[in-house]
This record gives sequence, structure tokens and C-alpha cells, in this order.
Amino acid sequence: MSGIYRVTRRDFLRTAGFGTGAVVFGFAIAPDDLFAAKIPSLREIAHTGLPLGEFVAIKPLSGDLTIFTHRSEMGQGIKSSLAAVLADEMEADWSKVTLRQADADSVKFGVPFPYPEIPGAPAIVRGEDAQFTDSSRSMAAYYMPMRLFGAGIRLVMLRAAAKKWSVPIADLRAEQQRVFHDGSGRSIAYNHLLLEARDIPLPNTDEAYAALKKPEQWRYIGKETMPFNDAKDMVTGKAIYGADVNVGRGMLTAMIVRCPVANGKLLSFDATAAMAVPGVRFVERVLPDNFPYTGGVGANFVPHDGVAVIADNTWAALRGRRALSPTVKWDLGPNASYDSDAFRAELQESTSKPGKVVRWRGDVVGGADIKADYYVPHLAQTPMEPPAAIARYDNGKWEIWSPTQGPELAQHYIGLAMLEPDPVKGLLWLVTEPDELRDCERPSQRAFNEALSQMMSVPVSKLFELRDALKKKVRDNVQVHVTLLGGGFGRKSNPDYAMEAAFLARNHPGVPIRVQWTREDDVQFSFYNAAAYEHFEAGIGANGLPTSLLQRSAFTSFFATIFPPPSPAFPPALNDIFAKARAAFHNGGEYLYGSAIERAQGLEDNPYDIPNMRIENSPAPNHIRCGWMRSVANIYHAFGLCSFADEMARAADRDPKDYLLDLIGQGHMFTEKDLRENEHVPCYDNNLFPIDRQMRSIGGQEKEILPGFPPDTRRLRACVERVAQMSGWDPAKKGRLGKGRGLGIAAHRSFLSYVALVVDVSLNDANELTINEVWAAFDCGRVVNPDRVRAQMEGGILYGLSLALLGEITVKGGAVQQTNFDDYPVFRIHQTPKRITSEFVPPSKAVVDSYPGTEVPPTGVGEPPTAAVAPALANAIVAAGGPRIREIPFRHKIVVL
Amino acid sequence: MPVFQLHVNGRMHTINVDGNMPLLWVLRDVLGLTGTKFGCGVAQCGACTVHLNGRAIRSCVTDVGVAALGEVTTIEGLSSDGNHPCQRAWLDLQVPQCGFCQPGQIMTASALLAANSNPTDEAIDAAMRGNICRCGTYPRIRDAVRKAAGGQTS
Repeated sequence: MSGIYRVTRRDFLRTAGFGTGAVVFGFAIAPDDLFAAKIPSLREIAHTGLPLGEFVAIKPLSGDLTIFTHRSEMGQGIKSSLAAVLADEMEADWSKVTLRQADADSVKFGVPFPYPEIPGAPAIVRGEDAQFTDSSRSMAAYYMPMRLFGAGIRLVMLRAAAKKWSVPIADLRAEQQRVFHDGSGRSIAYNHLLLEARDIPLPNTDEAYAALKKPEQWRYIGKETMPFNDAKDMVTGKAIYGADVNVGRGMLTAMIVRCPVANGKLLSFDATAAMAVPGVRFVERVLPDNFPYTGGVGANFVPHDGVAVIADNTWAALRGRRALSPTVKWDLGPNASYDSDAFRAELQESTSKPGKVVRWRGDVVGGADIKADYYVPHLAQTPMEPPAAIARYDNGKWEIWSPTQGPELAQHYIGLAMLEPDPVKGLLWLVTEPDELRDCERPSQRAFNEALSQMMSVPVSKLFELRDALKKKVRDNVQVHVTLLGGGFGRKSNPDYAMEAAFLARNHPGVPIRVQWTREDDVQFSFYNAAAYEHFEAGIGANGLPTSLLQRSAFTSFFATIFPPPSPAFPPALNDIFAKARAAFHNGGEYLYGSAIERAQGLEDNPYDIPNMRIENSPAPNHIRCGWMRSVANIYHAFGLCSFADEMARAADRDPKDYLLDLIGQGHMFTEKDLRENEHVPCYDNNLFPIDRQMRSIGGQEKEILPGFPPDTRRLRACVERVAQMSGWDPAKKGRLGKGRGLGIAAHRSFLSYVALVVDVSLNDANELTINEVWAAFDCGRVVNPDRVRAQMEGGILYGLSLALLGEITVKGGAVQQTNFDDYPVFRIHQTPKRITSEFVPPSKAVVDSYPGTEVPPTGVGEPPTAAVAPALANAIVAAGGPRIREIPFRHKIVVL
Repeated sequence: MPVFQLHVNGRMHTINVDGNMPLLWVLRDVLGLTGTKFGCGVAQCGACTVHLNGRAIRSCVTDVGVAALGEVTTIEGLSSDGNHPCQRAWLDLQVPQCGFCQPGQIMTASALLAANSNPTDEAIDAAMRGNICRCGTYPRIRDAVRKAAGGQTS
């Protein structure tokens, strides 16, 4: 009996207990599901190939393999990289591999891993997070699952051949999709073993672990041979992005006039002029008139209110929208008073007073010897591909094609908007068993579960049933296909644009509707990175190093956008349930303050070894949609922190690199207990990963469930030392650089990885800046795909240079003032430094020896380079004799050609 | 509506559209040539770059009526099977990340090399500065243009 082709819902895990042993490739097989599982017929196998779990199917005649990737491809190469990790371990023949992007499917992919049979095992990936391609965690979360999955398939093939030939498995080896018996000289292709493989008992997780290749046996992992299959289509114009999908004849294209102010409402419009444009078919409001508003500026990712012009082609839709636009009247609502200049002053005021203490050690007392404030405005991601999505509705079901970072997230929120728009009932989605969470997260989850149970007048136990039924309803009725993303950078985590398509499609059953955003739409209706203000004070000791540090940060939490903030317009019970939902969701905190995720991005994990530290989060309200942009809260936290380090060094007349090393100290690894007891950070969000190694007793043996991913300032220090060598920092410091030239340094840990940058700039008498060169030293643990990691370093650094020099979204009257790349400029090729050099810094022997796990696993790559750029650049400008720049964009202080 | 004879990639198409419909939307929506991308609509980003009589133009601001006077080449027609020197160099150096801007980058670069077979670094930057890449592939684009020109990469 085989279960290779059958995986089951994680819901099973709660009821089945453990010890079934029937675990393969990271997925659990329930005994009852095994019996229920349909063994595919030979006809089915011949037609579609034998599915080997959820990620691989193999064709019996040709041996052609299809490998699915469940994480979204947006330029990081993950579609090829994860598949190649699997292919390496299974000994696939890459020339036979076709890659496919998986649809949204939290049933297939939302399983905790590994050892899923253990109740309460920590899950890196929960619910929508399994496919949610954010926070630079694809490889960190799926490297080991993909390896085990591939090794398990190889083991099945070896067993099948052993059975076929009646030889011991120890005499067999697998290579490039064939099994060899060297003793007899026989060999056989995997695809000729499928009849035997169909009946092979599943390897359990322990067996898959034992079957893993040794690193020296890898063909792709960690090698320059790592493939990037999409590149060919990308350079020939064949790659399919959101607007490129051919869904057959009859598709209409929609352009939308949106309310310029978040949470404003439509009053009226006149369709006459738009309808007169040739090719325009329909003019209609996007949201249903009775759609229940929640009062949040982007709560549940519901789009801005808007009126759509639906036409035969994009040009007709554009012209129709132009004709419609002047006729649309809005009730702009309370956010129409939002002004980003006034808000900056409000943030400054907020950080001038004591905030909520989020971390402390020792005692910060007495006056400050040095103080500084830093400001980062709203920023828009502007991926090259503006948002676009296609939806088709028929017989109560939606089919969506979308370039989305969150396939299940899109499915979830589109499903709720279409099928269960009541905002309270929609909260059922967030009901979670407290046992699945960390201890420190359980009280808020319990409080939410209980409040919802009271509000809905059902017992808590019933909530889980209702949740499962709701999720099933959504999954059964909303299908989300994922296209290539023409860049994401966090913008495409938000499914508002696909939701627009879903709303419009419902009005036109059977007709595919493509919603196409313009660049103006993209700039004006983003989910912006929060505007933030950072305030620092330090007491300096006799040796020039700080004895005390106060760090205060005010920023609008992105959770203030997703969850409706308290409103006098709501009944108290509604305000209460939304507040409890937010507090429970990923430790999301309370309104006016940041979530655990944001606090963990450069606040609670300040890496400096200063005896007295107090880190505070100051309040900030919300008037505009805030979301995620590559590196997110690290952008403003690292800008402040790494600039202030340089300011302290200069105040002490010290070399900034030497001073930075002194600030970090010799470094050490933080355990969860250290953070809790010594740093008073009760519930640190480690990018969802455990800080400490997770062990469990399995069959009487203590086994590693997951390695730890602890913050370790030794690794940060090593990156600083390495980048100083790479850049020739010490000789440069001794005067090799001429007048008007300078080096700046910054180092930051984010998304579990460590980066140190040196930027070399020139500043001429006209205050014109040239960025000569950038060096990066990077520790992301195991480097799985060296070329794509280097590409992400190059791209992440340029993204950081762009936002630091040029990035600024301003708001007047509640409306974003910028429109396109002329007034929201981004980095271009002539501004790019002559050379960007990246090196990997392998964890030192001391780190490896003390590592809480069997190996130092791969960690984040896409975002970590970005946050350290702005401070390194600011510090370089000072070194070149320029001004100390404490606000983004730098183009307000220096000339960027 | 007027009828146009439009030469695209060596083929003649008879199309019946508004004369000021931008070439971009004719290519994408009428002819189904989706390799040419929409990035900004105002000639700021270069994602829509195609060749008109061998010169790089922004198809988002070029009326189809104007394009009908010449020969249009899109990324689909740049080479028979992706073997243009730029495409080969782009693959050799693994230039693309998300890939969305690369058809436009390659069309601009190929027009540059057709006009100047050995461009200086300054000439490369000058020609390519109208093409935005948000993934930050600029260093590799520079190298790929040099490589396609037969020169050394840095």
C-alpha cells in the first residue's frame, strides 16, 4: 500500500496522535486516509504520470518529471532553486525536469514540518504562511523539507529496484534518475520502476533523514551549476506575468477610478462619457453597494472604493477611465485630513516622550551626551510589473490568475470578501488552537478565541468546526493560479488588485475580467512602508563608548491597516474583537504600537553590547494603507541605528569600523531565555523561526525537530571584519582616499541573516554624489544557490541605494502626491556603482561548534542586503566631507545626478 | 475605424483600430505579443521598448498610425530562437531576476549595438538609462552588453 501520491491535511495531525510511522517527505499520512486514498489507475499514471507526493510527478514512458514549486517566483529564483534541492536529493535528471508553479493550496502545503506527527511540534509554516512568499523565508523553511522529500523518493526507487531484482538495497545506487546494480552491471530508469514503486511502503521521516546525501555528493546545492530555468523565457518574451495570461477569447479589461483617500466612499458617477468611448462595455462600481465596511483603511485587504471601466482592450479602458474620472464624486472621509508633513511632526513629538519599553537591560539614567533623530518617509515598492489580475466567475466559483506573493492569502481574503464579507464571521479564519503557538503567544490567542465565541454565541470548540467549514468553503470555491511576478518587493503580498477582479467577475458570469493597474495606480494605491521617526540618546563613557543607549521608534504598524483600528463609529464589542484578533495574530500588538514582527526588525534585536539599554516603541496612528516593502521595518530601524553608531564614533574621534566592532563586542549567541530574562523581550519574533533548537522525544529518542536560528552577534562581527578586509578599509582610513571621497560602513541582522556593507562615495564641490563601489559581506548560513544569492545581494543593495537617495511618498489631503517614475524616481543604470562585490562569510568554527542544531541552515537572502544600505551611504557621505544626512531621501541634501 | 497594415516581426497584419492607439496595446491586446511589457505608459521606464526600423522606441507613446509607416520588431522577433548575441549574453551572465523589464532592456541594447558595435561604458549607460530595472540587474546588464559586443566583462 502506497501513500506516496497522497498527502493529508494538517488537521489530521491534531487527532491522529503520533507513532503511525507513516510519514514521508515531510507530510503525514493518516491511516484512515491511506485506506481512503485512491491508488491511481495505470491509465491515470500513463496520462498524468505517477504523482510522487505533492511536488513531483513522473511520466512512465519518457521519465519526464514535473516539479512543482509552491513559493512564488518574483526574481529570487526560488522556483528553480527549491526544485533543484529536491531534484538533487532524488537524483533527478534535470534535463527531464519541467517546472510548474503550484496553485494556492493550504491543504497540500500548510503542514508543519518535519516530524508532523508530533502534536505541538513547532511549525515554521502555518496556514497561509506555507506559500506566503515574504520575509525571505522560502529557503530557510523549505530547504530541509525539499531535501527529505527528494531523498525519500530516491529511497523508494532504490527499494523498488531491490524488489524487482531481489537484491539487497545496499548493493544499489541511484544516479540521474536510474538505479544501478554494479555487481551485475544492470541499471534501470526510475520510470520503469513505477509499478514496483506504487506498492513500496513509505519511508518515514527518520529513514528519509538517514537517506540524505552528504554535501560532497550534491550536484546542485551550493554549486554554480544551480539552474535558473525561467531565464530563457524571460529573454525571449515568452515568460508569462499577470497581464499576459491567455484565458481564451472574450476577456475584457478593466481600469478603475479609485477614491484617492483611504476608506473614502463613492457618492456618484456619470457613465455617459465613458460609455461613449468605442470599445467600452460597462461602467460599474467595484464593491457591492451593501458591502460591509469595517472602518479600517485597508482592512482585510479590501480595495479602495472605485468605479471600473470595462472594455474590449486596455486602450479603450484607459480612454474610458479618462472620460469617467472627472464625474466621480467621493465622500473622502476622515483620512482626507492626512498630511505627511504634519504627520512627521507628530512622529517627532511622539518620540520626544517616553514610549512603551520593548526591551531593557541595566538602567538608563542621567543626561545624554549625544542625541540624534532620523526620519524615513512613506515608500512605495514600484515593482516593474504594475499590479494586474484576471478573474473568471461561473456557477458560484472563482478562478483567479494573479502575480501574487501570497497565493493562499489571496484565496483567503478573496474568498471572505466574496463568500463571507461579515467582518466578524471572517475572523473565524484566525481561530487557532493555543497549543500550536509558543507559550508567550497563547494568552492573547485564548482571549481572542473566547471573545469570538461569546460574540458568535457558540462554544470555543465549535469555533474550530466553523473555521474549518469556512476554510473549506473558500478553498472549494476560489482557485488561485500564480503567474510569474514582475517584481514583488512586498507590494504583491496584498491581494487587493485580485480582489477587484473577483468582484467585477461576479457581475459578469463566464466573462474573464482582467484588472490592469497603471503605474499611477501603483504609486498612488500601494500599501506603503510606514513613515517612521527614530530618536537616539547615548551616555558616553571615558573610553568614548556608550555606557547607556536610549532608542525610540515611532512608526505605523502594518497591522493597523489589516485590522480595523478602534473607532467611535463601532460598538465597543466590535472594537474589542478587532483588537483581540490583532493581538492574537502573530503577536500583532495593539493599536498605535508596533507588532512583534516590526519590533523584531531592528528594535528588540539591537546588536550592540552596551551595559544599559532601553528600547521604546512610541505611538503612531494610521491614515493610509501601510504594508511591506523589501526589508520593511529594518529600513528605518537600521538607518537610525547604524547611522547613530557612526555619529558616536565620530563624536569620540574614533575610526567608525573599529568603533562598530567595539559596539558589537566579541559577540555572543542569544537564547530565548537570554532574551526573556536578561533583555526583557518576552516574545521575540524570530521571523517565525525558533530561537532555540527544538527537540522532542520520538520513540524514546530525543530528536531534533528543528534547528535553532538564534541571533548571534559573533556572526555580525565576522561580517564587519570581512567587509573591512574586502574594501581595504584600514589602508583607506590611513589617507589613501583623496579629498571629497569617503567610505561608510553599516552592519545589520535581519531575516535571520547577517550583512555588513562598505560604500565608497565621492562628493564634489557642487555637492554632486558619485557612488564608486560597494562591498558586501554576507552570512546567510548554507548558501544553496550562490549565483542567485549574489544576484539578490546586487539587487538588494541597488534597491537600498534607490530608496535612500530618491525614495519619498508624500501625502496631502489624504491623497498621495506622486504619480509615476518622473516624480517618484528610482535608481537607473548610470547611477549604479562601477562595481558591487559580495562575499559569503561562512559561520566560524566557534559558531558552528556551538550551533543549536545539526547544521547552520540557510537563512534569508532577498531582503537582508537592503536595510544596511542607507546608513552605510550616509556614513560614507560624512566621510567624504558631506553633511550628516538624517532623513530619506538624501536628494534633499545632496545632488544625485 | 481606420484599417492599418502593420509590419511586425516580418509579418504583415491588417488591423482595425483607432489610429492613436499606442503600438504597445496593439501588440499586446490585438496581436497577442505579450513579450512587450507595460511599465509606466509615459516613456519613463523602457519596459515597452521595441524597434521601429531598427531604432529603439517606446511603444507606449507611439501611435499605431506612426508605427504602420515602418517595420516593427518585438522581442519575439529579435531572433528565431533566442540566439541574438544580447539574448545569449543575457543568459550566459544570468542577468534576469524577475525578468519583466528584460525584453525592453534587450531591445534597447540590441539597437545600441546595431548602431555602435563597440560602445564605451559611458555609451552603454547613456543608452540604457531609459530602461528601469527594479530588481537591480544593472551591473549584469552592463556586463552583458559588453559581452554581446564581443568585449570583456568586468
